[in-house]
Amino acid sequence: MDAAHIRNFSIIAHIDHGKTTLSDRLLQRTGTVADRDMEAQHLDAMDLEKERGITIKAHPVTMYYKAKNGETYELNLIDTPGHVDFAYEVSRSLSACEGALLIVDAAQGVEAQTVANVNLAMKQGLTIIPVINKIDLPHANIPQARQQLEDVLAISADEAVLASAKEGIGIDEILEAIVARVPAPTPSGANSFQALIFDSYFDTYKGVVILVRVTQGELKAGMQVKLLHSGRTVEIKEVGSFNPKPYVRQRLEVGETGYITANIKTPREVKVGDTITDPRNPSTELPGFQEIHPMVFSGIYPINTADFEQLKQSIAKLQLNDSALTFQTESSAALGFGFRCGFLGLLHMEIVQERLRREFDLDIIATYPSVVYKVRKTDGIEVEIDNPAFMPDVTYIDAVFEPIVKAFVICPGENIGDMMSLISEKRGTIRTTETLDIRRVMLVCKIPMNEILIDFHDRIKSITRGYGSMDYEPEGYEESDMVKLDMMVNGEVMDAFSSLVHRSKAEARGRTLAAKLKEVIPRQQFQVAIQAAIGGKFVARETVSAIRKDVTAKCYGGDISRKRKLLEKQKEGKKRMKAIGSVDIPQDAFIEVLKTS
Amino acid sequence: MRSGTDPVRHLYVHVPFCAHKCDYCAFYSAPPSGDQVNRYVDAVVRELELVAPRCRPETIFFGGGTPSLLTLKQWETLLEAMRRLNLLGAREFSVECNPATVSADKAKLLRSAGVTRISMGVQSLDPSLLERLGRIHTREMVFRSLDILRGAGFDGVSIDLMFAIPGQTMDLWQRTLDEALALGTDHLSCYEVIYEEDTPLFEQLAAGEFDVDEDLACAQYDALVDRAGEAGFRQYEVANWARDVRMGAPALPKEQVEELPRFACRHNVAYWRGKDFFGCGPSASEYVDGLRSRNWANTNLYCDQLDKGRRAKEFAEALGPLARAGELAAFGLRMNAGWPFAEFKERTGFDLREEWADDLAMLEKCGWGERLEDRFRLTRLGLRFADSAAERVLRPDAKPENRLVLEPV
Ligand SMILES: Nc1nc2c(ncn2[C@@H]2O[C@H](COP(=O)(O)OP(=O)(O)O)[C@@H](O)[C@H]2O)c(=O)[nH]1
Ligand code: SF4
Ligand SMILES: [Mg+2]
Repeated sequence: MDAAHIRNFSIIAHIDHGKTTLSDRLLQRTGTVADRDMEAQHLDAMDLEKERGITIKAHPVTMYYKAKNGETYELNLIDTPGHVDFAYEVSRSLSACEGALLIVDAAQGVEAQTVANVNLAMKQGLTIIPVINKIDLPHANIPQARQQLEDVLAISADEAVLASAKEGIGIDEILEAIVARVPAPTPSGANSFQALIFDSYFDTYKGVVILVRVTQGELKAGMQVKLLHSGRTVEIKEVGSFNPKPYVRQRLEVGETGYITANIKTPREVKVGDTITDPRNPSTELPGFQEIHPMVFSGIYPINTADFEQLKQSIAKLQLNDSALTFQTESSAALGFGFRCGFLGLLHMEIVQERLRREFDLDIIATYPSVVYKVRKTDGIEVEIDNPAFMPDVTYIDAVFEPIVKAFVICPGENIGDMMSLISEKRGTIRTTETLDIRRVMLVCKIPMNEILIDFHDRIKSITRGYGSMDYEPEGYEESDMVKLDMMVNGEVMDAFSSLVHRSKAEARGRTLAAKLKEVIPRQQFQVAIQAAIGGKFVARETVSAIRKDVTAKCYGGDISRKRKLLEKQKEGKKRMKAIGSVDIPQDAFIEVLKTS
Repeated sequence: MRSGTDPVRHLYVHVPFCAHKCDYCAFYSAPPSGDQVNRYVDAVVRELELVAPRCRPETIFFGGGTPSLLTLKQWETLLEAMRRLNLLGAREFSVECNPATVSADKAKLLRSAGVTRISMGVQSLDPSLLERLGRIHTREMVFRSLDILRGAGFDGVSIDLMFAIPGQTMDLWQRTLDEALALGTDHLSCYEVIYEEDTPLFEQLAAGEFDVDEDLACAQYDALVDRAGEAGFRQYEVANWARDVRMGAPALPKEQVEELPRFACRHNVAYWRGKDFFGCGPSASEYVDGLRSRNWANTNLYCDQLDKGRRAKEFAEALGPLARAGELAAFGLRMNAGWPFAEFKERTGFDLREEWADDLAMLEKCGWGERLEDRFRLTRLGLRFADSAAERVLRPDAKPENRLVLEPV
């Protein structure tokens, strides 16, 4: 297809505003998927995605559409993950496009995620086509949605297409708008063929499947191509597109998106953002992407230590299709051997943990999540710390910098007071307050990322009885008075509970943790002191009193074997406990505390 | 160590009948029904016939249930059979009695057949607590029974008491304790209430009808140790005390004081020291020639088996040498005397100081144990933690498959 008849676009939307439904409609209307093959939510492949209504992996789909002008266009829909955790994946998907459909639910109006995604699309310079969806709903408020487009997103409401993905209203108008408004891709003008790798996934039969957008020339099976950044030269085995299933094509031409395979067995060999070109006459490198940097880290440990190998294999398997996930072995005195895993964000973390539990049937425990801190030491060297256990001693620290996010919080007007106190409790500052409509306001604020890790989202939901929404984008680092909080039992640090906290909160958190630990640590034959310490200074203390004696029962001939078995069972039970110093702590206790804090 | 042909020196006989089930009790016992008791007596006689060739008892213990519930006639049958089987003449012969079921002629019969000790299940001298426990006797019956027993010539009487009973204040406990100590018996067994599953007391606890007050239980045990000592009793095991001389008699000269108090129950000592013993009657355990086994806890099934001329074993297990030694270490340390190193080595083949070096060091470190020149023993504090100490010194069985569950045939 000549580039003038190609349109590459994405759909961006807040969760549940109808992205998947609309995608399915487009597939149907263009005849890409026959009506009878249409199963609802075609694009969301994984169970977990369907369940949570979020798309995790982006899939490109190629459709052919005969426009009103009589000409046929190739429309490449590049799906994006629906959550800012995956902002990185969103932006690299967007970079393979020239335009984006922005869906706004006519009944809900603009939500936090809408704002965050529009910001990303605008940064990429995409043409945005606003779609006001769900106009069939009785409580649809089209004028209000228009108003919000203008006021909140600075998008002209005149451009909005009114649609109902469910009822099939406005679908043709959307397709026409794509043809008319989204610019055709322009060749880069490079000296030889050139393509951008914007994603990849692993297929057991084909090896690594590389998703590309051709920026100059064309790609065909049999060609020798060079992956510029990694320096490897490979032979293309297959080129193709998705409809949404992969199908083989003769060639991928300039402006088109699709996939290539080249017998590459390890996903790590393919860098997303890399440029594919002619090994004999390499083109310049396309502006690629930064390496993916995980933002949130947490230790994942098998509950049953014997599952370590299986956990390792399972995480490695997940990583095949989730290059954003990083892991390396770590060990904890309390939890044994496990992995320090890096995630793009909280949702990503939850999804990985849930998949390990569900798809791999593993019992795992995750430690308190941590963001990545930058520490400038007194010798001037700066280090990144993603595990509080490796925090340098205070005497070597010159300054600590913590990651900050710009958060968009949308909530009903009546909750604004509570929301402001939540934000300030979370050490956030509000930058702007904007009235969205008669019901809702949007607060744009700056918050340390570590504060939104645990319960920020849940708290918003509970303050607003489910009506609030929140999204964020990373906004660099700021110096901060972070301290390491250690929890100790009888003087021994329980590394699983160490965390970096802002000084203003350390004491309160230490107290909460100590009280919680007191609840779950069983009494021992001696007194157990639970202490919270900040840089060696104790800030909270609880004691678990000692067992004063065993039950002094009788024990005669008939009791001996019974009693022995009972005691053996207890002894066996203690083996499964973790000994911190001389204190035996059941693993359940760790899980309990890690879950609640 | 013993060889497989030495006579077994200790015999236990279980009488599985009680007039009424106490609220805390998990022993195998049931109210007697119809002709069942006679059938039981015949079956036990048959079982005694089977074990008699290997049994030359130095100690005999009739426990229950309520042995004193057997009628005079039934006792006569039993004792007569034992005489015929050459099982009488033991140095120590104990029979458990319920204060509500002691009669003068029964007492006389037992005494004349060579019974040396009566162990009386008193539990408490407080009327409301007796009722709380579901006991059928009253405090007056205790005094009367004692008179009857003494009238029949029993000097050796032991009483059982319980503490940490729900509702038992420190004051109530001390009153029972003082009264009991003043009764002039020469042996005392005191147990803390245990909540065994499937007992009414357990259900009540689970339902939250009362709380367990551990501090109070601890204080009650301390009071027990102190007062029993002041009253001339010597503790020889976690839950057992005995005198060296009868109440009022001058104390023994120091050089005559032995490891065990003179009126200690040698039968129970045999258990803790890991001696072989036969167990007859439903649910009875025995340990003979390295094999621990237990009879069916079902009187009818038990009788059926013996009708067919075989013992009614429900299961048997043989512990490996180290596991057995661990068991002995654990249970022997319940005794105040602890384990003399030489005796332990002789009984088990293992040296307590080597195989258990770490455990002994740990017990010493936390003040639960002390090492003397010839032995290791638990301290006063350690005896309170005898179970925890036992848990440490037990050794897993290398071959747990040596446990056999036997089907009745
Ligand atoms: N009434 C109505 N419901 C819609 C429309 N579009 C989507 N939905 C419903 O909204 C929900 C979320 O849609 P989905 O496409 O999964 O949203 P996504 O999370 O953005 O992918 C589903 O229950 C859809 O059936 C519409 O135009 N009208
Ligand atoms: S008398 Fe003894 S054996 Fe019988 S029910 Fe009461 S406690 Fe149990
Ligand atoms: Mg969806």
